[in-house]
Amino acid sequence: MIILGIETSCDETAAAVVRDGRFVLSNVIRSQVDLHERYGGVVPELASRRHVTAIVPVLDLAFADAGVGPSAIDAIAVTEGPGLAGSLLVGINVAKTLAFVWDKPLIPVNHLEGHIYANWLTLPGQEEVPEPVFPAVCLIVSGGHTELVLMRGHGEYVLLGRTLDDAAGEAFDKAARLLGLGFPGGPAIQRAAAQGRPGRFSLPRAWLGDSYDFSFSGLKTALLRLLAHYQRRPQRRVTAQEPFPEYVAPEYGPNVPIADIAAEFQAAVVEVLAEKTVRAAREFGARMILLAGGVAANAALRQRLCELSPVPVRYPPPILCTDNAAMNAGAAYYLAQRGVRADLDLDVQAQLPLVTRTALRAASV
Amino acid sequence: MERSGRLLLALETGGEQVALALYDGRVVSEYLFDAGRNQTATVLPAIRELLRVNHRSLQELGAVAVTTGPGSFNGLRVGMSIAKALCYALDIPLIGVLTLDALAYPHTALGHTIRAFVPAGRGRVVYADYRRAGAHWIRESTLRSVRLEELTAGLLTRTVLAGPLQPEQEAIVRAHPAVVLPSPALRQLRPAWVAEIGFRRWQAGDTDPVAALEPVYVHGGGAETVPSVQLPEGYGVPFGQE
Ligand SMILES: [Zn+2]
Repeated sequence: MIILGIETSCDETAAAVVRDGRFVLSNVIRSQVDLHERYGGVVPELASRRHVTAIVPVLDLAFADAGVGPSAIDAIAVTEGPGLAGSLLVGINVAKTLAFVWDKPLIPVNHLEGHIYANWLTLPGQEEVPEPVFPAVCLIVSGGHTELVLMRGHGEYVLLGRTLDDAAGEAFDKAARLLGLGFPGGPAIQRAAAQGRPGRFSLPRAWLGDSYDFSFSGLKTALLRLLAHYQRRPQRRVTAQEPFPEYVAPEYGPNVPIADIAAEFQAAVVEVLAEKTVRAAREFGARMILLAGGVAANAALRQRLCELSPVPVRYPPPILCTDNAAMNAGAAYYLAQRGVRADLDLDVQAQLPLVTRTALRAASV
Repeated sequence: MERSGRLLLALETGGEQVALALYDGRVVSEYLFDAGRNQTATVLPAIRELLRVNHRSLQELGAVAVTTGPGSFNGLRVGMSIAKALCYALDIPLIGVLTLDALAYPHTALGHTIRAFVPAGRGRVVYADYRRAGAHWIRESTLRSVRLEELTAGLLTRTVLAGPLQPEQEAIVRAHPAVVLPSPALRQLRPAWVAEIGFRRWQAGDTDPVAALEPVYVHGGGAETVPSVQLPEGYGVPFGQE
């Protein structure tokens, strides 16, 4: 079964062709980083505008790269949510129209579910990735999400916890902005942290008792307090291309040990994410930990999880961690097995949850 | 695949009502409905229904005309996304029609200057002026944003106001002696006008790039004058009765 996937939930315009939920034939991602860089975060209206002009060339390329035409497609998958409403609607209306014209089934995919299914994918030329096994504990971490999910089978999710305030990727973005490191924050912090050592400073870890929820807003406040010790200076922006200097002089003066602060900040985020994930894996007898989302590309997080975990830790290659459409086409294969389909009245679900709190309470885990 | 090649679908989704038309040299069908903010859920089912009741198939479509605004940004993006995907999947040409052009179009036969406008929120409107130049009507390239009360300020010659107004707003603009105000139904955008402008441009080979076409993003946002927008080169609304 060959599925065309479309993804426009945030700031990447993407289309992909995937066979049997496992094998990526093409995976085209038009990034908008250049557009949002100067704002230090995604500007929803600008993102929506870019999707409108990017979607057709991206589709064209996805077919060309896959070497198949529309007639070879068995279904069309699209993100219905969660995400930015103005961005989601571009992908949804395009996907519905293509399904209408080509007379193909339309399969709506939850963006978070898509991220999880990136772990099922094998890229062209890559050795076949074995199928993950259940039960699995999935940590979905990105600029928009931080959710810890128990997956007992295809489509069977129990939400164990999620962030109560900022998403992990958002925390990285905010910290990178404060430290003058540029956007996106995750890779910028990671690059800076590589040259520093955690522990020189002490930033708080929000354990929130026994809960599997997360909180990162306190960390940002603590970082601000730490930086307040240094004298404020007129703002100077470091461009993304500039090699990372050991001691840059951002907003807060010439002597801020950026690398050490970044290392501590990253450690504070990573420790909480890794330890809660591993604790959940133990409690629910998971046979595997699955990482997903943009922050899953963070090397420190991967390393820490592998150190702590009693079971295998799986994470997709970086190109499948970021928002992409192959993950939708992959997830849609398993959704199609269960008869999930949408009609032309499919609407944007900007706040779509993967599983609700009610489902969590009802599930006797 | 052989296409009959004469049928055009027009769609406008940036205003208060969704407006669809089928046109093949004359109006085959028009469909106006109030979608609220539910354009994504309703427009494609409406297109399917429009084709069905007119016994037409998608494969008969030869071109798509879509309004480019001004209007609700998300609303415009719904129409633009559908129009692009239709043209891409069917491999047919796309024509973007400025919403203001379509509003001005039915009034050209009167011969007066036309000021076409759309609501832009917060009591403001975005407008453009249309003047006769020889056999054609020319639109100035700058779209301006003003408060509704200022829409008629400075008008010297007889000018047709073309755009939707609340009854209390009608009283305001009517007070100006130079204003010609057609009946409300003639000032509410009709999909057939979009279709007719689009059809003429299509027949003249004047179509837009499917990938690059985008809405005109102009809103009321407080600015007195919005910068001139990218408009199709040398494009004028043809004279009413040729
Ligand atoms: Zn994502």
